Amino acid sequence: MRLLVAADTGGTFTDVAVYNPASGQLGFGKTLTTYADLVEGVLTGLGETGAAPAEMALLRHGTTHVINAFLQRRGARTALVTTEGFRDVLEIARGNRPVPFDLSFRRDPPLVPRPLRFEVPERIGADGQVIAPLDTAALAEVAGQLQGVEAVAISFLNAYANPAHEEQAAALLRAALPGAYITTGTALSREWFEYERTATAVANAFVGPKVAAYASGFATRLNERGFTGQLAMMGSNGGAMPFPAAVERPVSLVESGPIGGVIAAAEYARALDIPRMVAFDMGGTTAKCALVEDGQFEVQSTYWVGGYERGFPLRTPVLDIVEVGAGGGSIAWVDPQGRLRVGPRSAGSEPGPVAFRRGGTEPTVTDANLVLGRIGGANFLGGKLALDREGAAEAIMARLARPLGYDAAEVVARGVLDLASTLMAGAIKEITVARGHDVRAFTLCAFGGGGPLFAGDLARSLGIPRVLIPPQPGNFSALGMLLAGARLDVSRSIVADLSDAGMATLSAAASAVRQEAEAAAAREFNGAAASLRALAEMRYRGQRHTVLVELGAQISAPGIRAAFEATYAKRYGRSLGDDFQPEVVALRIIAEAPAAKPALSALAPSASGAPAPVATRPLHTREGWVEAPVWRREHLPAGFCFTGPAIVEEYGATMLLGTGDAATVGALGEISVEISL
Amino acid sequence: MSDPITLEIIRHELLSIPNQIERNIERTAFSPLVQEYKDYAVGLVDPEGALVCQSRGSLPIFVANALGTAVRSGLALYGAENLQHGDAVISNEAASLGQHLNNVVLYTPVRDGATLLGFFAVLVHWMDLGGMAVGSSAVTTSTDIWQEGIQYPTVKLLSRGERQAEIFRIITANTRFPRLVLGDLEAQIAGCLLGRDMVLEVLGRRGAATLGEAIATMRRQANAQAASVIRSIPPGRYTAESYLDDDGIRLGQTIPVKVAIHADGENLTIDLSGLGAQMAGPSNAGRNGGAVAASRIAAKYLLTPEEPVNQGDFDRLVVEAPDGTFLTARPEAPIAGSGNTIPTVVDTILRALGEALPARARAAHHGTYGVHSMAGRLPRTGELFYNLDTATGGWGATAEEDGAFPLRSNAHGDVPDIPAEMQEALYPYRLRAKRLRPDSGGPGRRRGGIGVVKEYEITHPCRLNLKFERGQCPPWGLAGGGEGATSQVAIIRANGSTTHALKGSFDLVPGDAVHVISGGGGGYGPAWQRETELVLTDLAHGYISAEHAAAAYGVILNQDGSMNEAATHARRQEMQS
Repeated sequence: MRLLVAADTGGTFTDVAVYNPASGQLGFGKTLTTYADLVEGVLTGLGETGAAPAEMALLRHGTTHVINAFLQRRGARTALVTTEGFRDVLEIARGNRPVPFDLSFRRDPPLVPRPLRFEVPERIGADGQVIAPLDTAALAEVAGQLQGVEAVAISFLNAYANPAHEEQAAALLRAALPGAYITTGTALSREWFEYERTATAVANAFVGPKVAAYASGFATRLNERGFTGQLAMMGSNGGAMPFPAAVERPVSLVESGPIGGVIAAAEYARALDIPRMVAFDMGGTTAKCALVEDGQFEVQSTYWVGGYERGFPLRTPVLDIVEVGAGGGSIAWVDPQGRLRVGPRSAGSEPGPVAFRRGGTEPTVTDANLVLGRIGGANFLGGKLALDREGAAEAIMARLARPLGYDAAEVVARGVLDLASTLMAGAIKEITVARGHDVRAFTLCAFGGGGPLFAGDLARSLGIPRVLIPPQPGNFSALGMLLAGARLDVSRSIVADLSDAGMATLSAAASAVRQEAEAAAAREFNGAAASLRALAEMRYRGQRHTVLVELGAQISAPGIRAAFEATYAKRYGRSLGDDFQPEVVALRIIAEAPAAKPALSALAPSASGAPAPVATRPLHTREGWVEAPVWRREHLPAGFCFTGPAIVEEYGATMLLGTGDAATVGALGEISVEISL
Repeated sequence: MSDPITLEIIRHELLSIPNQIERNIERTAFSPLVQEYKDYAVGLVDPEGALVCQSRGSLPIFVANALGTAVRSGLALYGAENLQHGDAVISNEAASLGQHLNNVVLYTPVRDGATLLGFFAVLVHWMDLGGMAVGSSAVTTSTDIWQEGIQYPTVKLLSRGERQAEIFRIITANTRFPRLVLGDLEAQIAGCLLGRDMVLEVLGRRGAATLGEAIATMRRQANAQAASVIRSIPPGRYTAESYLDDDGIRLGQTIPVKVAIHADGENLTIDLSGLGAQMAGPSNAGRNGGAVAASRIAAKYLLTPEEPVNQGDFDRLVVEAPDGTFLTARPEAPIAGSGNTIPTVVDTILRALGEALPARARAAHHGTYGVHSMAGRLPRTGELFYNLDTATGGWGATAEEDGAFPLRSNAHGDVPDIPAEMQEALYPYRLRAKRLRPDSGGPGRRRGGIGVVKEYEITHPCRLNLKFERGQCPPWGLAGGGEGATSQVAIIRANGSTTHALKGSFDLVPGDAVHVISGGGGGYGPAWQRETELVLTDLAHGYISAEHAAAAYGVILNQDGSMNEAATHARRQEMQS
């Protein structure tokens, strides 16, 4: 047997998915994440599925390692080398105050303090010309001061236009500092903006040595158990990266965890021919959403570690995702002004919601769900955890209802859920409306432990007519990692208008970048043939933000203009006419190679015949309490139709149908719901 | 009467709309001023022009409700019945808005049939609308409003959805950068209409009565929160003073900034009658854009900084100032630099409020916009270019914390600077350095934040426009803390001569260099009380020099760089007495 395996180490759970190509069977495992030894959790999860390492052809790994290292600021002792005059760019940042009325506002301190930031004379112009050569003697002197430093980032001004000096400096430092982790800004990003590129290089160096150690420890532990397959980590762009590439560019792993669910959502969008989809993932502490258009998710080029307000940027391709602090564990409270609030604090898994009886005293979203009959008390996590409904109701009464002047827990529980929904709806609006999309044209694909519970309410409030609940919503991220192919993104800042000269520049750059992508793919894809897509980041001359335009095989001005105007109009309502000149500001080549992966049909329903509800229970709906049927999802055959109010339970998730909602079980195991708006 | 939970949900729905529109505008705008520098405000105001909510990125300087002020002019001129669905009105009128003409407000009514529910409004800094200088507000020598550009004194740009081609032609003819200004305007219009539609969508779901109730509740809650802080201020009169360098015309003649605050447990009165008289040069502002704006910024900082801005924040704020001061300038006054004085005035009000609420007291910050713009023609195409940037400097220390650095002024918010790489790619000059300025933080038990040095190298002829303040009146310390260093600009000529200036316009030639040096924040508490470990850390970071450590902090080093305990002790004893 040559198994395909994915292991997703999340904040609370480590999820494992195993696919056996010979039998076409998929298996899943779920275990608590072991913070002291993350590899241990993966091995335990694998043990649960019964898959032996010796039988595995490949293992894909998604991890929160990198983002946690940043947030906890636990990384290597890192130095920075910059162009003379610019070592403080990292600390000066952009000078803005994103929290406008906070007199004590300050940014998080930079990852490299001033004594470890060094300058060397050299200068490249904005056009890429060398104005002053790299002063190698000065650099040698700096190298002398770097003893004891574990990692070095090199970032020179205008290097995006010509990386020669950065590469030269890296070679000299590698020779002078054997064993140190060396990274250059332009190896990670060839786009302008010195602060953003420098911050990226520094972040990469900061986590580099730890990721290298983690990867080699991970490999060793598996190899000891007879593993001989390929190892890859999940990149934030949706591609699986072989371990060596991940070690070179660990900033690429910053959203390694959430990407899996979106890959799987995209696979369903393609299989079911759904052109516009919002992938919505609700877990214990946060809810996240991303867009899937024409079967593709969008990748953005700037990501903020620790948030835009106080954190730092990474210039690396990251799935375009919006996150809000609303999850099952989010705590509901009454603020000093007497307003009901939800989050951002979460009870997490320890102590957890009041209903878990693990010492939690503050009511959470999960407690509100339980009080309203939306989740069952007896069969949470397959009955492994019995929930305390009375305790939840008492906490809601005491801490929320009485202070707010209500005499029934259920009214306030409904308010808690409505507020949580409003926060999540805000995130969905941000990923659609703020980016110029009409949310009502989308299908809402909901997964994660809480997604199927809230999908109906969210769709109704946003005017979304159709909801899709895929199979295995509780293991969706691990499933998605199994579905991922290899992918790498190479991009380059170039400025080209639609004149003949501009087209010549673009064609030349396209073939150069294409060759570079092919060479990188040959190194990283284990011999799989890469297919290339060329995209141009375009805007009207003068604009800052761009839209991505697919470039055909033939690069021609009229073709590009038409494609740009169509994309722009789709995004922002209308294109701007001939007074405004489109231009290309960056070229992006995406190399992808398909990999062996499970067919979605492996998750097709195996049930047949006419199913019956296993029970009924009181469910609080918008119309008040109703006695709702409870279905087991594994009992539902393809083609089965039913209407709300109804509850569908499965391991790791509960789905709700509102009154009038009509559900159909699809051939791939998905449940599509027509929402009664 | 709706239940409080529904009202709270509507509050969230309304608050999120301007934030989403803000992103949308940033993505579709054309000038770096809007996309990178983010010089705009987005908000919803009620049928009387009272602010309901404003986007998070909107600059503090716009909390005086520039949006609502523009709307009130429109209501007075047209009457509510003549502001219909699909109308969109622009205004930058000096007499009412009182801020430089580049700030153009566009608004559109939000109607439920016959019922007017409010207006969605978007203010954008237009890059240029004529006048003496490229960039309009860049002018440093204007002596009346007509030299500063064109006014659009409440003009319908869209009438029931119909674009008014005449107005677009006038706009096009009155800017040096029609492409950028019209591009930004498209983003402004589209954002405004989309914002209106999103409010209408909430209205459709909730109904006009409930929506109105939610809006009234937001104001009542904001008022109640401000009231609870005002009640905590011991009743009394609190005063503070500082001064400005000059009016830009009569250089070196300082201008007084005297403020008084009267707290009576119910209301907060800010008395600005001690401000200097209207200036000959362009650092004036009208009443709404000046006295009211400065007072509201200061009040918001002190009262409910963590809450979104709402009219209710200011229901208990009384602003007193006679006509004819530099922040209540008459309609004909030059106001191109209307924001120049605001950071200093706000800092002075905060200083007075610090007397009233000592726990919130904070030493002064660098205290100036520090506008430094470059304009000229691109060498290859001959096209005009214009880059506006402002200073980032040190902030003041508090009893607990060193001052932050480097940040924009207190009247600026989420305004990122323009990257050197972007400037070098777009404009014909280079940056030689962008570095921290050691020894600029005011000494103190808690040190003031430090400033920044930017060095420009001029490679083609261009014109530099400067509008800095606080060259004379250093950022003050508190409780015995020292002053921060003042802002400086040095123009180092190719011929070897050097000019120091903070205001004015200068023609530059290849080989010239400009050093823009921002100020530091004031310190808190006596410097000799600063823990020696912290002084040594500052030394190791190069935030202070060894000379400064000795002179300001009494920390004396040995030859090997370690601290000389005995000499330090002795020196600190001396400082103490």
